[in-house]
Amino acid sequence: MSETPSIVAEGLGKRYRVVTPGSQHLSLQQQLVRRVAGAFGGRQARGDFWALRDVSFRIARGENVGVIGLNGAGKSTLLKLLSRIVEPTSGQATLHGRLGALLEVGTGFALELSGRDNVFLYGSILGMKNEEVRRKFDAIVEFAGIGRHIEVPVKRYSSGMYVRLAFAVAAHLDPDILFLDEVLAVGDLAFQRKVFEFTKSLQKRDATILFVSHNMFSIKTMCERVIYLRNGSIEYDGRVEGGIELYERDCRLAVVGWDEAGAPETWAVFVDRCELADADGRAKTVFDFGEPIKVRLGYQIRRPVQSPNFSVSFVRSDGVTCCTYSTEADGLDLGMLSEDGSLELELPPTKLTAEMYSVHVTVRQPGYQDLICAQIGATFHIRDELLSHHFGVFHERATWHGSPQPQPAAPALTRPTAFID
Amino acid sequence: MSALPDVRTVTRIRARTGMLDFDLKSVWQYRELLYFLVWRDVKVRYAQAVLGTGWAIVQPLIAVAIFTVIFHLFAKLPSDGLPYPVFAMAAILPWTYFSEASRRSALGLVGDSDLVKKVYFPRLIIPLANIVSPLIDFAITLLVLFALMAWYGIGLSPNIVFIPVFVFMTMALSLSIGLWLGPVNVRFRDVMHTLPFVLQIWMYATPIVYPLSMVPDRWKTLYSLNPTVGLIEGFRWSLLGHGTLDLMALVLSATVIFASLFGGLVFFRRAERSFADII
Repeated sequence: MSETPSIVAEGLGKRYRVVTPGSQHLSLQQQLVRRVAGAFGGRQARGDFWALRDVSFRIARGENVGVIGLNGAGKSTLLKLLSRIVEPTSGQATLHGRLGALLEVGTGFALELSGRDNVFLYGSILGMKNEEVRRKFDAIVEFAGIGRHIEVPVKRYSSGMYVRLAFAVAAHLDPDILFLDEVLAVGDLAFQRKVFEFTKSLQKRDATILFVSHNMFSIKTMCERVIYLRNGSIEYDGRVEGGIELYERDCRLAVVGWDEAGAPETWAVFVDRCELADADGRAKTVFDFGEPIKVRLGYQIRRPVQSPNFSVSFVRSDGVTCCTYSTEADGLDLGMLSEDGSLELELPPTKLTAEMYSVHVTVRQPGYQDLICAQIGATFHIRDELLSHHFGVFHERATWHGSPQPQPAAPALTRPTAFID
Repeated sequence: MSALPDVRTVTRIRARTGMLDFDLKSVWQYRELLYFLVWRDVKVRYAQAVLGTGWAIVQPLIAVAIFTVIFHLFAKLPSDGLPYPVFAMAAILPWTYFSEASRRSALGLVGDSDLVKKVYFPRLIIPLANIVSPLIDFAITLLVLFALMAWYGIGLSPNIVFIPVFVFMTMALSLSIGLWLGPVNVRFRDVMHTLPFVLQIWMYATPIVYPLSMVPDRWKTLYSLNPTVGLIEGFRWSLLGHGTLDLMALVLSATVIFASLFGGLVFFRRAERSFADII
């Protein structure tokens, strides 16, 4: 790692104006007047919200830095500021070298045009000059493996060809700095693999990578440093382990902002402990696929409640609720609760595929009536080399019959090394 | 020069201050993107159309035919001694360019919202590209006008050397409309629905199907505040060598156009900061 600066941010800030309740019902005319006045900086709106505030850091050339934080902490805003998609309200940043962007598959493609036309169009969108694209054209087509289809309109491409072509152009940009938002890389498996290979090759070339992800495994694999953002400010900047620890601590027991549940102060039940353990009762947050999990809850009772229904849901990092366990669904009655207590939930060997999950705890009145408590508890990971979310939400072994009868494969073939995690 | 800075180049990111910081330098740096967006628009427009660029010719011809029947044969509108189809077409062509360029540059930001949300480039590139691409159609249809003039035995006037002046002014006016309405359309899609009929009404407030001589003298100054009046008359004068150039009306048009363009630039630059957030 050299000491040449690559990204220097000094006091970066981004302020958004919060729409005051009710103003969305103003007439177009009223809104226009406000808007035009606002655009000319006429007056300061109330309810300003700083998505990012006073963010300063210095990243040297060749560093791979993970940007982590809860949703709304300002990660995407930071990337948007640095890639100049939005303008900072305060502060400044300096980028040394060429910036590469990995766009969502197909952004900027013109479907009616041929692959050849799109290579030039996409290249210029990514910031390559025409002469450069022309020089690299053969290499791009070769890399994409498109062959003679390069003259066909891209709307007739299979999704795989499409991804390969877009990626081939991006990969030939040779950036010095790459911003990688994992949300963008949620393409199909082929796209993810390409992204990963590309990132690796950039790391070899001493490029600087800023990587935004919720997946702490990816962060650990790719980065040697993390910047942890909380409420728009840098809470931690340093070695990966320390940042992840902070992140996971903050993930625990956040209150879910569901209107339905009312203000947390009014809840009759409040969950004050949520931890995960393995079959032997050891607390941990990383489980292998197929491992049994125990969920331990501690709760406070602020007002006596009759037969509350406790539910524990596992919600994948992309927001999909994968499964829910509920005392009522399992035929239990907690009776009248008037004192603090605890619950332990023992799960069968988990079938969830390798991903990050968070534990959502909700408490309802019996019969799935009113919600009386809603909290997000621990975050945990399922680890497996092969069974990623591309296999679906869960995986289970099945028996195959056929003619000829399939034979067990050699061990090496059953478990190819996955590219990430 | 590279479209993006090379390894040694340094990109500085900071809030722009000052209303007049138009950053035209980076627009120039991104001129290749401008070129490719124009090229894309033109290619996509005619891809998979059997007639291809033929549509650029057919559309104004049909408009001329309809106007000739309705306004000349039925309504008996005068045409200052010129054959009505030539009289009308010399105005319809620049008007078609103007309305297309204005419409596209006002709606282009939303049309390319994917790019606006995800890639950096000077946002001015989008309205700029959208006033350039309809020029191709305009150039093609001019040739049709020349053919029609030849049919009626009307020769080209030496005034034609002034055509670039009028084209440039029309581009500036279209751009200013794009700069004012584009950001509004980002916030309120109402523009998309309103603009077509505003342009329609505007067309009848411009001497296109009728001659300027029909406008009563006492209304003329007020009427000429409409910048398209001076423009359309200018096009007729330079294409057909018809009448005399009303310098007064032209200067008035130019003043209105460039004032509106300047204001549009200031407005657009202020508003563009929030495009990516609200588009």
